[in-house]
Amino acid sequence: MLSTILGAVTLLYLGVALAFLAAGLWVSPALNRWARTLLAAALAAHTVAILGRWWESYRLALGNAALTHFSEKLRLVILQAPLSNFYESLVFFAWCLPFLGLITFRRYLRDYLGMVVALGACLLLAYVSLGGVDSRIKPLMPALKSNWLLIHVVTCFLGYAAFTLGFGVALLYLVREKRPRESLPPLPQLDRLLYRATIIGFLLLTIGILTGAVWAETAWGRYWSWDPKETWSLITWLVYATLLHARLVKGWQGRRIAWLAVLGFAAVLFTYFGVSFLLPGLHSYLT
Amino acid sequence: MTSIRLTVFLLLILAVVAVAGTVAVPDIYYRLWFLVPLGLLALNLLACLAEGLPQAIRKAARPFTGEMALSMPERGRFIWPADAAAAALAQEALGRELGRSRHEVIGEKEVIFYSRGRARPLGPYLVHLALVLILVGGIMGKFWGIEGRMLLQPDLDVSSFELEKPRKAVPLAFQVRLDRFQVFYYKEGGTPKEFRSDLRFFQDGEEKARVICRVNEPVTFGGYTFYQSSYGAMPQGSIILKASQGDKSWTLELPLRRWVDLPEGQGRIMAVRVEANLQGHGPAVQLGYRAGSEHPRVFWLLEKHPEMAEPLGSLRLALGPVKMQYYSVLQVKHDPGVWWVYGGFLLMLIGLYLAFFRPSQRWAVVLQRGKKDRWDGRLLGTSARGRETFVIHTERLLERLKKGAG
Ligand code: HEM
Repeated sequence: MLSTILGAVTLLYLGVALAFLAAGLWVSPALNRWARTLLAAALAAHTVAILGRWWESYRLALGNAALTHFSEKLRLVILQAPLSNFYESLVFFAWCLPFLGLITFRRYLRDYLGMVVALGACLLLAYVSLGGVDSRIKPLMPALKSNWLLIHVVTCFLGYAAFTLGFGVALLYLVREKRPRESLPPLPQLDRLLYRATIIGFLLLTIGILTGAVWAETAWGRYWSWDPKETWSLITWLVYATLLHARLVKGWQGRRIAWLAVLGFAAVLFTYFGVSFLLPGLHSYLT
Repeated sequence: MTSIRLTVFLLLILAVVAVAGTVAVPDIYYRLWFLVPLGLLALNLLACLAEGLPQAIRKAARPFTGEMALSMPERGRFIWPADAAAAALAQEALGRELGRSRHEVIGEKEVIFYSRGRARPLGPYLVHLALVLILVGGIMGKFWGIEGRMLLQPDLDVSSFELEKPRKAVPLAFQVRLDRFQVFYYKEGGTPKEFRSDLRFFQDGEEKARVICRVNEPVTFGGYTFYQSSYGAMPQGSIILKASQGDKSWTLELPLRRWVDLPEGQGRIMAVRVEANLQGHGPAVQLGYRAGSEHPRVFWLLEKHPEMAEPLGSLRLALGPVKMQYYSVLQVKHDPGVWWVYGGFLLMLIGLYLAFFRPSQRWAVVLQRGKKDRWDGRLLGTSARGRETFVIHTERLLERLKKGAG
């Protein structure tokens, strides 16, 4: 049932991406409005699918426990947030892109930028369903039973999504610089947008890393253990800190910042996918 | 020391060394390769703080006055009729769009002004200060912190724990007793749901505390924090092994990890490991078997299904009842640096918020009697960063002011 919804949502995102592309090619405000509405509808369905899985996961966990107090149930609801394995995190990652696009960047969400958002969400969901990612709901192992799980994962993935948007904008910048094109936003606007996406991502990633450290301290008694996932998130953080210094202190703009954003996004990808598959560590529950 | 080029260079070196750490050299973070650039970066940060923080504080503390407001660039003009309650109208417009404004009369000019984000210049320095706090906390943990493990068997008082490197016991000024250890499973043989140690702490022969320690729920006593880290099971007493061949049978007692001769020169056998519940099949013992010059063999023998073990020639093996006892493994830690680190975390978030999401912006409405006594109004403003919100507010404000005349 839920996978059917997600399948439909994947196709819908693809449709939205094409609509935005067409809007960009033929400079059509009406098509942009349509695409935005359609994107909101897809996000709503995506949200329903996530909530449905949350409910299912909660029901399964409740089967194992006899809870009567409201506070106990609430705690179980929080613990069972569908963010505890690779499948769930991918579905949430895909959700973050249109969410950020429609909430934080709605003023710029048109044409090619809209396409970047919708296409990103579509590709992530397509990977979920075609890549053979295990979608079973599994009981939580004790280390994952923490109130920090929710805020840690939510902030990390919203941060990743902001960096993904930044990456898309950086690509648009580099393309537009090579071949000026009417339908692409002007360079200064892309530059500012890239900066906004980066600071939002940086703040969220920082909160993600810090809450992860607090969680590790309560679970294992170590706020930092140089586990590969931790180390790679720090590397990612350092790359973006470099970008911000280059811009704030050295006044770099434009192409060089765009390339740094590309580098930062490569670090994000490795932190998320590379580490899970290539390097062993504490976070290996994700696979 | 404070050149930004050096900073970027050091950040990149740290990133590269960290990459090396995750793929090839696992403990590089405690070697000079990492520590030297990190130390330089800390010096760099401190120099930068010493240089810029006082100035940033002065800047943030300097009040915004009507005099200063007058020197800002102009953003638009409007005209109000002579009978308008001009200052009040301007204050209302600023209040609607931004917030409470102040009012000064300078010569013939009425100046109504508003500022926000004055603390912005502190942002980056708070972030840098936070990094220093985190580093200090980390160093305190390394030098004055201590971390080890404690193995607790039910009802045996323990008053020390094991350091890992160098391996030695650290005495505690109190005793810990495990009253009970429990593992709960979601399903028989499935994922564990919860490990739980019921602990009691004693000091000078008196019970001081009675607590439950679970994963993610550490407990603190006597300056140490105890984390439920793992557990194990060991057999209570020796393992009873029943061997039979045709109509002959023997009963052997196997102490853990000691070779025992099988009867009639059929080789030797050893209990290597015991599991309380091997993949959901109940108690099991891993056995090593060796006969003559044959290569030794290792296999599992289940209490409930002895027939599943591979046969040793015509010899049949079975287990007597295996009585298991759990033990609990706790991580024990004392780290005086943690609060510095947490303080750094908090400061960093505040600093990031100030630096990026509180742009410093100022507006002023200047009113002056003009021709025919009507009010000539000017809107002034500046913004360091946050251009977009500045432009939006300025446009809306101007619209309001123009409408203000009715
Ligand atoms: C990875 C963490 C960071 C490190 C290691 C770091 C380090 C440094 C260092 C050493 C400087 C040189 C100071 C100077 O040239 O006077 C500097 C400058 C600066 N940093 Fe950072 N920084 C970090 C994070 C940040 C963040 C997150 C921000 C954003 C708010 C920031 C904003 C600035 C600014 C605005 C300056 C220029 C300050 C000035 O010229 O007085 N830094 N940083």
